[in-house]
Amino acid sequence: MENTVTQRKQREHIPADKVKNGIAKYIFIVCACMSIIAVVGIIGYILYGSIPAFRQVGFFKFVFGTTWYPDGKKFGILPMLVNSLIVTAFSVALGGTIGVFTAIFLVFWCPDKLHLKYKGQNKFLAKLVAWLNKLNLRTVFDQVIKLLAGIPSIVYGLVGLQLLVPILSYLDTTPPYQGEGILASSILLAIMVIPTITSLSKNALEAVPEQYFEGALAMGNTKAQAVFRVVVPAARSGIISALILGTGRAIGEAMAVIWVSGNRALFPTGLFSNIRTLTVNIVMEMGYAELTLHRPALIATGFVLLIFVFIITLSLNLVPKNFKGKRGTMTLNGDSTAAVTYVKKGLLAEILKVIAIVCAVLVLAILAVIIVYLTIMGLSNLTASFFGPSSADVPTLFPALGATLELIAITLVIALPIGIGAAIFLVEYAKPGSKFVKIVRTFIDTLAGVPSIVFGLFGMIFFSGVLGLSYSVMAGALTMVLVVLPTIIRSTEEALIAVPVSFREASYGLGASKVRTIFRIVLPSAFPGIATASILAIGRIIGESAALIFTMGALYTFTGNPLDSSCSLAVLLYSCANEGYHMSEAYALAFILILLTFVLNLIVYFIQRQVKKKR
Amino acid sequence: MRLFNQKETSDLRKASEKEAQKPGHSLEIFDFSGENAITVKDVDLYYGTFQALKKINMEMPKYKITAMIGPSGCGKSTLLKSLNRMNDLVEGCRVEGEITIGNVNVYEKGIDLSALRKNVGMVFQKPNPFPMSVYDNIAYGPRTFGIKKKGVLDEIVERSLKQAAMWEELKDRLNKSALGLSGGQQQRLCIARALAVGPQILLMDEPTSALDPISTGKIEDLCEELKNDVTIVMVTHNMQQAARISDKTAFFLLGEMIEMGDTEQIFSAPVHPETERYITGRFG
Repeated sequence: MENTVTQRKQREHIPADKVKNGIAKYIFIVCACMSIIAVVGIIGYILYGSIPAFRQVGFFKFVFGTTWYPDGKKFGILPMLVNSLIVTAFSVALGGTIGVFTAIFLVFWCPDKLHLKYKGQNKFLAKLVAWLNKLNLRTVFDQVIKLLAGIPSIVYGLVGLQLLVPILSYLDTTPPYQGEGILASSILLAIMVIPTITSLSKNALEAVPEQYFEGALAMGNTKAQAVFRVVVPAARSGIISALILGTGRAIGEAMAVIWVSGNRALFPTGLFSNIRTLTVNIVMEMGYAELTLHRPALIATGFVLLIFVFIITLSLNLVPKNFKGKRGTMTLNGDSTAAVTYVKKGLLAEILKVIAIVCAVLVLAILAVIIVYLTIMGLSNLTASFFGPSSADVPTLFPALGATLELIAITLVIALPIGIGAAIFLVEYAKPGSKFVKIVRTFIDTLAGVPSIVFGLFGMIFFSGVLGLSYSVMAGALTMVLVVLPTIIRSTEEALIAVPVSFREASYGLGASKVRTIFRIVLPSAFPGIATASILAIGRIIGESAALIFTMGALYTFTGNPLDSSCSLAVLLYSCANEGYHMSEAYALAFILILLTFVLNLIVYFIQRQVKKKR
Repeated sequence: MRLFNQKETSDLRKASEKEAQKPGHSLEIFDFSGENAITVKDVDLYYGTFQALKKINMEMPKYKITAMIGPSGCGKSTLLKSLNRMNDLVEGCRVEGEITIGNVNVYEKGIDLSALRKNVGMVFQKPNPFPMSVYDNIAYGPRTFGIKKKGVLDEIVERSLKQAAMWEELKDRLNKSALGLSGGQQQRLCIARALAVGPQILLMDEPTSALDPISTGKIEDLCEELKNDVTIVMVTHNMQQAARISDKTAFFLLGEMIEMGDTEQIFSAPVHPETERYITGRFG
């Protein structure tokens, strides 16, 4: 009797659960579709905003016109397009070489520990040496790469303006001998693409089966020969993908080059000729552009940039994944009379090995210089007035800090549920390899590749304009949701995949529904991964400036109302240094930003170490 | 007597890396005129504190197939890998004693690993052709030893493939990816690749354990052919295989070599009771 009652109860339960499961599934699908909606929306609104320019100037004249003179109604972007392409090519050539060789060093030659010796009497030094010897060098190097990746682009811009350009000015032989231009922009962008290229190349190299390496050694190869003749070629598709992603990053970067390019919309003539790239054009002129033609022309500049970024992203799919071999047959013409003498070779491989070591040291040195420079300049410029009250023309820390915190809070409240929902759909519901999943993934990747400045243009048109939010923290936050969504989806996805299938099976085995299993079992186990995702997103929000200048504004004051304009730390740094009146505040802000980046990276590191320990 | 403690072994590694910076010297440092290709004398091998090989003594005659059998973890693969010093890759691995190949102690200070491994080729358990074309796989070794002329490379590729009895199968797909071949073909390609640099000795680490019976048969036939030109040392789990193709068999148990002798004798009249228990399948 009792048995039938429970059975009936269970039967009654099923429909309610079914409804819940069905609704949940559709909510997750909608979350997954957000990336598609975002990408389509961005393309649509940017194109829509560009149409007045294309109509009045003509698409062909716009793209191939050689004069940019807004006051004379002349809108030709060809010089800037050429500049963007040249600077991108140079920076990827330079940063790509350094990045790939650094990755090779990290995978094959980075020692596990330092072996320093100290024989002096100084106790502090002895302790320091002992501590250094204990460090795991590979972990340290990983963190160095992550820190380089996390430094906000506006901070790179400041370092470029105040440190790199003055150094380069000694080499500049053309008036006005300032050191700005193609070389400065390329070097700065090269530094910015190094982390991307290094970490992706490292993944590709680590994925090469060990047995190729062993096979080459067993043939009598030296280690360097085995690395450069077998392992690196075997990883080439991953390395090429890394270079392509670096290219996308370089062409879309705005804030790092804004102060070092020289800002002249002319064709380049030499390494020090002052230039203006597509991205710089948008940031520099948007503030004072009139609405009928100049602003559409700047949006159209963003549209052309977006097309280039899409071409670069799509070319990722053309990278051949496996070695296939050539068609047709091969005829051999053996020369049986020639004497065969084998000799030891491998000088080239040894030289390449030395290059790898030099590149890795260079990367360390670059980070060290940036950190030391910003720490010295930052600490010496931390004045009392910087922590004091603010007004319309006195920039201080706390309003910007408040605005940044509000920006982070609103962004995460919206982006986390959507991102986690999308990740749940991709991992728990979607059939792996189905067409819909492939489409969703392509759109997530595409969204991840959209340059910040284009997000900014879209936010300006849609959130500030169409939704009527004008310049406000809310408009900035909604824009940032789109910026951080790919990061959150990917990290959450990784965390969900790492939850053992047996957990789910155990839950199903007890009769739990899918939704219950996800919320009670899977998500709690994936919590550290989701926390990591949030911190990565926070890092991105703190460092972002290009997407916020035209959505959140640059007011020095903060009211607390999300519908009011204000400015985040990074945007404040931009406006302080851009006008040149508040350089000491700029340094202080750069130091605070880099400190925040460091702390966030440290938190991620400790979360991940904790997770690893548990397993 | 401790010939090599851990520190010296790592010095050796450094030495061999330094050696690599002086390219251009000859690789023929061995003299194979003697009766035995390999002599192993009082070899102890440690992984950290674990002793994997205990006082191994054996002689492997020239142009013969020597099989090493024994249950998993008995040290037979470890010994094989110390013959061409692939064990150097394992952290904390340390070898004491003497391994003489072609009149040279291969653990001697300053020995050139390239020269050693050029003369002592190796075929792994899992086929490991490089992700290149068939031709480039075979030409890989000669190219790294400085052969650039197309005519010479062509000659070496054709000869090696013929030696490995796969010329007829592969002559029309030389520029296809080696990864597209079947497992058995891949393994024979790896043998051809090893032969291309003209080794005197071929080490085989369970070369057929990942293959089907037909491919296994082909590789066994190939070994019989090859022993006219090279000395073969083979680790195998398969006692029938050892009985079928080897001339000498050594039985290992828990890091010790229990017994070595002519294959017929080992399989018909083993001296040690443990050998008998193993080959009659009572443990293993």
